[in-house]
Amino acid sequence: MSDLYPQFQQRLTAVGGECYRVANLEEAAAIIAAHDALAQKEIVIPPRFCELQPWGALLPLLSDQGIRIREAQSAASVADAPAGLSTALLAVAETGSVLLAENALEARIVGMLTLTHFVLVRAGDLVAMLDDMGARLPQLTQSGAQQRHYISLVTGPSRTADIERTLTVGVQGPKALCVLVVNDQKAEL
Amino acid sequence: MTTHDTIDEHQPFEERLHHALADEQLRTALGRFAPSWRASRQNVFAAEESDYGPDYSFASMRARLREAKDYAIEHQPEVLAQFKERAQAAGAIIYEAKTAGDANRYVYELCRRKGIDLVVKSKTMVSEEIELNAYLEERGIKAVETDLGEWVAQLNHERPSHMVMPIIHKTRQQVGGILTQAVGREISREDIAEQVAVIRVEHRKSFLNAGMGVSGANALIAEGGTVMLVTNEGNADLVTSLPPVHVVLAGYDKLIGTFAEAVTQMRLLVRSATAQPLTTYTTFITGPATPEREMHIVLVDNGRSEMRADPRFKDALRCIRCAACANICPPYQQVGGHVFGYIYSGAIGLVVTPFHHGLDADAGPQSLCVSCNACETVCPVEIPLPSLILDVRNRVVEAKKLPWIKKLIFGALARPRLFDLVARLASIGQLPVTWGGRYVRARNFGALSRLPIMSTLSKLASWRSLPAFASRPLRDRVKARGISYSHKNTENATQRDTTRVGKLNLTVCYFAGCMTDRLYPEMGEAVIRVLEAAGVRVIFPQRQNCCGLPALNSGDRRDGVAMAQQTVAALERALEESKADYILSASTSCVVTIVQDYIRLFEDLDYRGWLKRTRALAEKVIDFTNFMERVVLPSGVTLPLRTPEAGVVITYHDSCQSCNCLGLRSQARHIVQDLLKLELREMPQSDVCCGFGGSTSLEHPEVAERLLNNKLHNAESTGATVLVADNPGCLMHLRGGVDAGRRRLRVLHLAQLIAEYLE
Repeated sequence: MSDLYPQFQQRLTAVGGECYRVANLEEAAAIIAAHDALAQKEIVIPPRFCELQPWGALLPLLSDQGIRIREAQSAASVADAPAGLSTALLAVAETGSVLLAENALEARIVGMLTLTHFVLVRAGDLVAMLDDMGARLPQLTQSGAQQRHYISLVTGPSRTADIERTLTVGVQGPKALCVLVVNDQKAEL
Repeated sequence: MTTHDTIDEHQPFEERLHHALADEQLRTALGRFAPSWRASRQNVFAAEESDYGPDYSFASMRARLREAKDYAIEHQPEVLAQFKERAQAAGAIIYEAKTAGDANRYVYELCRRKGIDLVVKSKTMVSEEIELNAYLEERGIKAVETDLGEWVAQLNHERPSHMVMPIIHKTRQQVGGILTQAVGREISREDIAEQVAVIRVEHRKSFLNAGMGVSGANALIAEGGTVMLVTNEGNADLVTSLPPVHVVLAGYDKLIGTFAEAVTQMRLLVRSATAQPLTTYTTFITGPATPEREMHIVLVDNGRSEMRADPRFKDALRCIRCAACANICPPYQQVGGHVFGYIYSGAIGLVVTPFHHGLDADAGPQSLCVSCNACETVCPVEIPLPSLILDVRNRVVEAKKLPWIKKLIFGALARPRLFDLVARLASIGQLPVTWGGRYVRARNFGALSRLPIMSTLSKLASWRSLPAFASRPLRDRVKARGISYSHKNTENATQRDTTRVGKLNLTVCYFAGCMTDRLYPEMGEAVIRVLEAAGVRVIFPQRQNCCGLPALNSGDRRDGVAMAQQTVAALERALEESKADYILSASTSCVVTIVQDYIRLFEDLDYRGWLKRTRALAEKVIDFTNFMERVVLPSGVTLPLRTPEAGVVITYHDSCQSCNCLGLRSQARHIVQDLLKLELREMPQSDVCCGFGGSTSLEHPEVAERLLNNKLHNAESTGATVLVADNPGCLMHLRGGVDAGRRRLRVLHLAQLIAEYLE
């Protein structure tokens, strides 16, 4: 299988997103901690992020860098927080998109209301085309305890061109989107 | 607090039109948008095909989506049952609203039961259709649009003028003014980023306090019981997440079978709408996300069952509301969506309005369609928009009757002998205004302009000189050439065939069309000269008359059918008796009328005998350009051509019927450059209608004039000396514009250009 990352990166940056490929969670933590959006040394995360495999292990690494970690609660508490962090089920190289699928509102608002949204995705979850994403949807929406009621395919930061067709980024959702594609094997260690 | 530039859709059509025509800003914005959208759209589809191969070409994808949508329409009961079952299993509550009133009542009752007084909305055309905001506000419930453009429109008490770009008709200065008034402090009139930031802050409060979020649906996916939403701003995600109650408003036409089909829809929808590969947010919602939340799906009929029951209009249910048909539409660019449509704008608006809002609401807007067929070429679900608009026009004309001037013209055209007489009398009667020249010029009217009929004529001729009737029509001139053919007297043309053995052993039966015959006989003579130079034997059947296009395009079916039957009968007989290989016309409009419109007409009327005869005849019909390119040139025949002089520069206008209906594009260019060895300079937007289209130039001269001036401006911008096209309707319009504007271009039919270079 050819490496999908270069295409993913090209398409995501074309729509104004940021993108990094990292070898492991240490590298991911370093990039996040050094990002402009972390000037206030705080990041908002979905509840129970620490239980996620393999992502939970990122939190102590961020703490080590002096970052305060805050769990999302009400919408008001998350609104316009400088930085938020969530995880994607998969990413689509064709369009530079990430697929978020959280039922809990507190988890979803991290990606909807913060100013800079960081998204983690495994390199192995990078798929080539939208059709590959579409092929996962029947299973994700299937009835049962695992049913994902709310799935969002996000492609770059929120934008509008309603006024004089001038592109303006950051309308209702995040003003910046930063995707970290984490190499699998190291991430699973 | 409505500003002066607001057009209210409840105003009479004429008032709205007048208003829009005076709006310089509207036209500038739309005029800038259209060319850039066309180019970006083309690129974004081309890029996909080059990345993923022919299965991802526009043509393949639209065939797939069309099939998927047709299936959902055809099998609506089953697809709906599956959607409902899955959505309900996921916890959604479904309400089926027969009418707009039912849907509004349901939403209102829900608010009342739950004590909700603030509703946030993301874009839903259905809510515009049913006028939900007004309904709620009359009952004390505030509904806030959160899509940026929709909100600005709402603040200004107007409707979106475009389905995808609601305030395309507004400048930043206007937006700044509207926002300043709304928030009660000074907002920049120049800085768009500041304006957008205001909207973000203002809407945050609404999002956090609203009791209900109302969204539309881009698709209702049966496979998952899932609602798909496509946005760029991120407001739909907030509308559907933050308030505890989410209401989806959607027409039954949004049903689609599978996720795979929905992905194809995404690809086509976004590329067609904004020329992006994908919008920022594509959201798939399957029931309420958590048990304490509510999700209601209101399925709205409001005329859709009636459409589904109509064998022709059910095609319009395939629409995915991309607005490509508005973006490409030449008259839309002149008047905008508040005039070109009623709530639903663009070509699709003209088609669906009678079903949602009644025929009256469509009577004015439908008259703006120029029948250029451009919309059908970009529709991502292949809706036969131009012919459906003509169906609407037929209904309007049945209800309202034709304007007198059209009644007069078509009535005469449908009676060949009367028309012949009128044309011959006119060629003499016109002398006081033509002074023996080729034009009827308003500036030559002098004292005559005080006569009432002359003032009407003056209105039509001031910006575009009208052609004079030729003193000798083509039908007389061909007699001298010995190619005239009449059924009563068969010896003349057919007897000559042994003496006219050409290099190409072919006979064509020449159908000139009434415009060439009566107004531009020299155009017809040029066609004959070129064909004969190629060794083709030409015969001219005297029984030919107008093909009926002007009547059919104006919704005058009675006269149109009569002319269609005359034409089919006359050509059939000429073909049979002369054993001609082709029926050739150098008017692509006539060709399209015969090979496409007649067939539709007879299908629709269920005239099976005529249908069969027309189909057989249509196989023999060919246009001049195709004949040159597909028959003459490949045969190896060399035309005796001289080398062109220096300084002649050609620019080519693609007539709508030529490019949009017959798919002609490279052929004429090949003839100009490679056969005639002339320099060709492409004008911008060569394939945009010149404004003659249909009968618009009679009914809406202001619109036709603007399209004409754009065209002539584009042609002149190339520095060309000759403007060439292959359709007499366009040529008449273009020549008239050149004459009235005292421009320097020569305007020629392709055949005339070739004939000029014959040795």
